[in-house]
Amino acid sequence: MSRQSPRFTKWDAISQWLIRRAARRVPECLATRLEEEWLADAESRASGASRLRLAVGCWWAIIVIVNDRPRFPAPQTAVAGGGWSAVTDRGFGYYSLRSGTLFLILGLHAVLFGGLFTPLSHTHGSVAPSISSGHVLRSVMGETR
Amino acid sequence: MAKKQTDVRISLQTLKVLEIFLENPTQQFAGAEVHQRSGIASGTLYPILLRLEAAGWFVSQWESIDPSVAGRPRRRLYRLTASGLRRASEVFGGFSRGVLA
Repeated sequence: MSRQSPRFTKWDAISQWLIRRAARRVPECLATRLEEEWLADAESRASGASRLRLAVGCWWAIIVIVNDRPRFPAPQTAVAGGGWSAVTDRGFGYYSLRSGTLFLILGLHAVLFGGLFTPLSHTHGSVAPSISSGHVLRSVMGETR
Repeated sequence: MAKKQTDVRISLQTLKVLEIFLENPTQQFAGAEVHQRSGIASGTLYPILLRLEAAGWFVSQWESIDPSVAGRPRRRLYRLTASGLRRASEVFGGFSRGVLA
């Protein structure tokens, strides 16, 4: 959707901005191609919401593409060079994107459950009789005598 | 020049993409058309197209139009290569035999 078009909305501006930002995360030789390709594909979408969905998807696509680089060489249309190593040699190639997502989800669950149970345990602790006060011990000692 | 890796991980989405291209192996498709036909989200679709291109199954080129005349930007078009056609046919043939190629 070109800016001159009367149908150009602020959502289209956001979509274009997202696509441009996403494409810049790969080396320039491929970034230029992906930006043009994705903007053209966004143009062919019917609604602004659809274009926004495509733009958000492009961010996920970039993560996958960058993660794929160690396993797959750059396409012939994108000149393979030092650019890729700058992006992809991040020292955690052992972990796949899927594993990273799994660990992220597990971590978020741990934080969520930790956040839920910590206040509960504090409440429980204040309601329960304190052993240090000696009431329980004294009553038990009294019964045994 | 980097060595091409011709083996591609065949996921369900990859099969959907290949099926579209196999319906008419000589036809060229833009990513938007593949999305319309397959319903695969852009976040999954474009990495698949790039993987298949990097593996030599697809080639891509810019649409040969003048954007100022057409009133829209040129699209990137993908097409099966001869080896891609052969490999994709083997994959689908493997399913008919009950064994993935």
